[in-house]
Amino acid sequence: MLISEFLLLGAVLFCIGVYGVIVRKNAVLVLMSIELILNSVNINLLAFSLKYNDISGQTFALYIIAVAAAEVGVGLALVLLIYRNKRNISLDELSEMKG
Amino acid sequence: MLSTLLASDVVAPFSSPKIDYHALAPELVLAGVIVAVLLADLFLEESKKWVLSTIAGFGLLAAFIPIVTLAVSGHRARSMFGGAYVVDTYSLLVKGIFLLAGYVVVLLSQNYLEEGDYYQGEYYFLLLSSILGMVMMGSSRDLVTIFVSLEFLSIPAYMLAAWRKRDLKSNEAGTKYYLLGVFASAVMLYGMSLLYGDTGTTILKGIGAKLQNGSMSPVAVLGIVFVIIGFAFKVSAVPFHNWAPDTYQGAPTPITAFLSVASKAAGFVALINLIYVAFPHGGDVFQPMIGVMAASTMTLGNVMALRQTNIVRMLAYSSISQGGFILMPLAVAGGKSSGNALTAIVTYLAVYAATNLGLFAVIIAVSRKTRSGEVSSWGGLFSYAPLLGVLATAFLASLAGIPPLGGWVAKFGAFRAVITSGTNWGYALAIVGAVNSVIAFGYYGSLMREIWMKPVPDGDTAPIRTPSSLNAALMICGGATLALGVVPGIILRFSDIIKL
Amino acid sequence: MLTDHNWILTVGVFLPLAGVLIMLFIPKEEESLNKAIAIITAAVTLAVGIATMAWFKYGSDSSKLQFHVDVAWIPAIKSRYIIGLDGVSMPLYILSMVITLLVMIYSWDHIPEPGNAKAFMILMLILQTGMAGTFVAQDLILFFVFFEVVLLPMYFMIGVWGGEQRQYASLKFFLYTMFGSALMLVAFLALFFQTGAQSFSLEYLYAHSSMISTNVAVWIFAGMFVGFAVKVPMFPFHTWLPDAHTQAPTQGSVILAAILLKLGTYGFIRIAIPTLPQAAVKWAPVIGVLAVIGIIYGALGCLAQTDMKRLIAFSSVAHMGFVMLGISTLTQFGINAAVYGMVAHGLITGMLFFLAGSIKNRYHTLEIAKMGGILKRIPRLGWILGMCAMASLGLPGLAGFWGEFPAILSAYSPFHNDYVHLSQPLFRTLMVIAAIGTVLAAGYLLWMFQRVAFGEASPLIAGDVDADGNDLHAGAHAGDHAGDHLVGERGHGAVPFSVGAAGNADPHAEVHDVGIFEWIAWTPLLIGIVVLGAYPDLMFKVLNGSVTKLLAPVQALTGK
Repeated sequence: MLISEFLLLGAVLFCIGVYGVIVRKNAVLVLMSIELILNSVNINLLAFSLKYNDISGQTFALYIIAVAAAEVGVGLALVLLIYRNKRNISLDELSEMKG
Repeated sequence: MLSTLLASDVVAPFSSPKIDYHALAPELVLAGVIVAVLLADLFLEESKKWVLSTIAGFGLLAAFIPIVTLAVSGHRARSMFGGAYVVDTYSLLVKGIFLLAGYVVVLLSQNYLEEGDYYQGEYYFLLLSSILGMVMMGSSRDLVTIFVSLEFLSIPAYMLAAWRKRDLKSNEAGTKYYLLGVFASAVMLYGMSLLYGDTGTTILKGIGAKLQNGSMSPVAVLGIVFVIIGFAFKVSAVPFHNWAPDTYQGAPTPITAFLSVASKAAGFVALINLIYVAFPHGGDVFQPMIGVMAASTMTLGNVMALRQTNIVRMLAYSSISQGGFILMPLAVAGGKSSGNALTAIVTYLAVYAATNLGLFAVIIAVSRKTRSGEVSSWGGLFSYAPLLGVLATAFLASLAGIPPLGGWVAKFGAFRAVITSGTNWGYALAIVGAVNSVIAFGYYGSLMREIWMKPVPDGDTAPIRTPSSLNAALMICGGATLALGVVPGIILRFSDIIKL
Repeated sequence: MLTDHNWILTVGVFLPLAGVLIMLFIPKEEESLNKAIAIITAAVTLAVGIATMAWFKYGSDSSKLQFHVDVAWIPAIKSRYIIGLDGVSMPLYILSMVITLLVMIYSWDHIPEPGNAKAFMILMLILQTGMAGTFVAQDLILFFVFFEVVLLPMYFMIGVWGGEQRQYASLKFFLYTMFGSALMLVAFLALFFQTGAQSFSLEYLYAHSSMISTNVAVWIFAGMFVGFAVKVPMFPFHTWLPDAHTQAPTQGSVILAAILLKLGTYGFIRIAIPTLPQAAVKWAPVIGVLAVIGIIYGALGCLAQTDMKRLIAFSSVAHMGFVMLGISTLTQFGINAAVYGMVAHGLITGMLFFLAGSIKNRYHTLEIAKMGGILKRIPRLGWILGMCAMASLGLPGLAGFWGEFPAILSAYSPFHNDYVHLSQPLFRTLMVIAAIGTVLAAGYLLWMFQRVAFGEASPLIAGDVDADGNDLHAGAHAGDHAGDHLVGERGHGAVPFSVGAAGNADPHAEVHDVGIFEWIAWTPLLIGIVVLGAYPDLMFKVLNGSVTKLLAPVQALTGK
């Protein structure tokens, strides 16, 4: 069974994703890092689904893919909104409010 | 390939699951209303858009009817889709809270949208979708359903937070909420995948049967931790609270009310579902974690709130701190005080919804005149708007937990739950809570001081005109806050019988 | 079970709220109507109270809970609406009604700045409900709710109608009290669970106090101790009191001194001691020592004060020290004295605050140094002040004596039974120190009275200068207002208390002696001080049975 290799890949992707979310200052890159995490989840789910020979893991992954698409749509819309108002999508400069 | 799969007799022919339409009626009604709003928006002229809020409001009340009929039809839990979706007394109660809170939010939004010249059809469509997600969360007993409900309630909320399109603050509010929300749900999903990997099922009950105390694998522990962290973002528990103040301050005020009450409540409902059904034996893992979060959430929220000069931002921190109080009973769930803790949380959510929505109604009403969010803009409110002044005082007193207003029942329940546990942990949490409820009065009291004891800024003592929808919201919340405090039985008789 | 007339307590407690409801519909511009409705409500409430007194069964029945009501309230948390009246609560229950009515009558022409009689009166009516409810509640949660109801109205009363430092004082009052009651609530809950989580009813808790181990009980008592001691206030928790009293409007000070402080001592007698006798015995020496520190500290504090109201406030700390000393002996004798002292202190200190308020009203200051010779200008008020000072220092024949003297005496033989006893040497030492306290009390009160009342009228009292020391005689020579020439060439005495007196030979025509509303408000208190002083048995007879009953759990201690 190749399960541990799959899980390792998932864990590595997850870590890269978390690292990206924390370090990247560009909104689009942060979005992409989050996508990486979601993909690591999908890999995990598919691996476990195979291990248990159980379909619910694969269904879960399908749901995640669909919802992630919706999420990214909203996210890009928000980024676009900021770009329109500010001509910039750096997260560091998003600091209208303090306290 | 596919044809061979379909043809093979290994796969049983697809049979439609049995659907209990009565049990799903609230969701179905709500879905119908959502479509109705969307369609009506297409055909209505700009001047008649007010009809949309009426449809949305009545639709929410209509969805409440099946909840009542389900409640009187007996306490039998109706389980569907292999246990993934369960309609029982607990889920009916939280659904009721969501629908009524949603109705008040619609009342709050009506004039705000009309006068602010915002898109109305889409607004109500998204608001109702988010409420539908919450209603679904009440019944979700499966990792997949919880995930779908969570996204269903969150994605519209991201857009609503950024509804004031041309205002950079609102953009920032939406973006921060979005990025942290999506990140949190990704972390949560990773945790869910680990839980699935450890137990081989996504049904919460099945997970609960597999996860036993003492024999828990590290994978499962990691899964529980990640899942709880994911929802800690949703309920803005320290240290995952950073988004809340900015989002609350920047979002349109009715949406802030919605996020601080309904969205937060949905997060707690999800946590309850998970902890009570999936990790009832995981106390060793989640109790210390949630206990520490509860203590630090209420303390940090309070301390930060003391320093604020903007009312909405102050309330954002206040709501963080109240979240700490709601987490408090959760920290002893799984032990012998499980039942008390469940009662306490649901009661707290109901009381908190009535009180906080009422306070936001006052904020919206006052800012119609003052056009300011500063604490000092409330100076002398009592002298020129006595009714608003008294209502605001009542809501603040309720948040501070002073009898005979609703808040004390909520706080009392939380204390009762942690003390029932009988552990030193429980007592320590109770003491931290007691001290915090005193600190909280520092800022609730400072608002009261503005209302009663400070001069009116600019000496402008023109009375405040409140539209009828806002008046209705104020009366509903004010009445509920007082009634819950004087005859707490009206909520406790329900929240006491619920079981999971 | 005594069930006749048991509706009367509920009516007596909630009637003020009916007045509030009516007043909500009257615009605030109708000041007189608002005041009239409030006063009528308070009067009817007192009438209900008097009927309660009339129906109350005295004699051996006075120890039983009468007018007992026990109906469901919050079944989910096992809290019930249980109310009842016995010999200990009755005097305090009636006192709260009397004081509220008198304070309202006094308010007829003394609404403090910034006005708004409607709101002021509504707050007082809400206060009345909270106070009366606390004294009749026989369920911990009900007690807690009523106990807290008084917080907000008092906060606003001090914060809105108070003096210069009102915001600081009101917040301090609130935070202290709230801190106490938060811990108290935790203690109540702990008590509930330690006794089997069956009931919050006091009757049940009295009967099951022995279920709790002493170690746990001591901690639960600590929570209650903080809650009640803040309210009393006892020595380390007293700092809110002088500020609150000094800044509160007269009416607020009177209610605070006469009733609110009693909620704390009442809590000790009604709840803390009988529900946790095993812990009470452990805590009694601590309470006794703190009480005596309070007595001495309060007295020394008084000597240092220059402001009359602050002085009275510190004297309250000292007097409540005597009450707590009586309670700490855990004897029937001591607790009888304590309850007597509570009522007497309510009458006397309430009266002193009324007087201080009236003096401030006339002269716009309470600086003792600026006063002198008020007997010459307003003799009736002066003599009433004299009488109250005497009563306050514990002159035999006036009410104060019967609270103080037996309390000190009771410390001679503190509680002991066959198994448990309190340290006799300690309490006898405390007794001696407390006795010194009474001497100090006589010292500061007489000193205050002498400086305020005797001698020649000071420039302020004589009307030569105003409260800030500005010369009121436009043409007078500097240093020429020795005060002994009362009628002079001062024709144009200006502000503040001689408005419209231009051309009048006597510029203080406006500084009148005791006015009609003052007479109405004060006479009952003065009569009370004299009657209770002359015939103490009137109240001891009512108290004794109930006190014995409340002490039964302590008597039954076996030291196990």
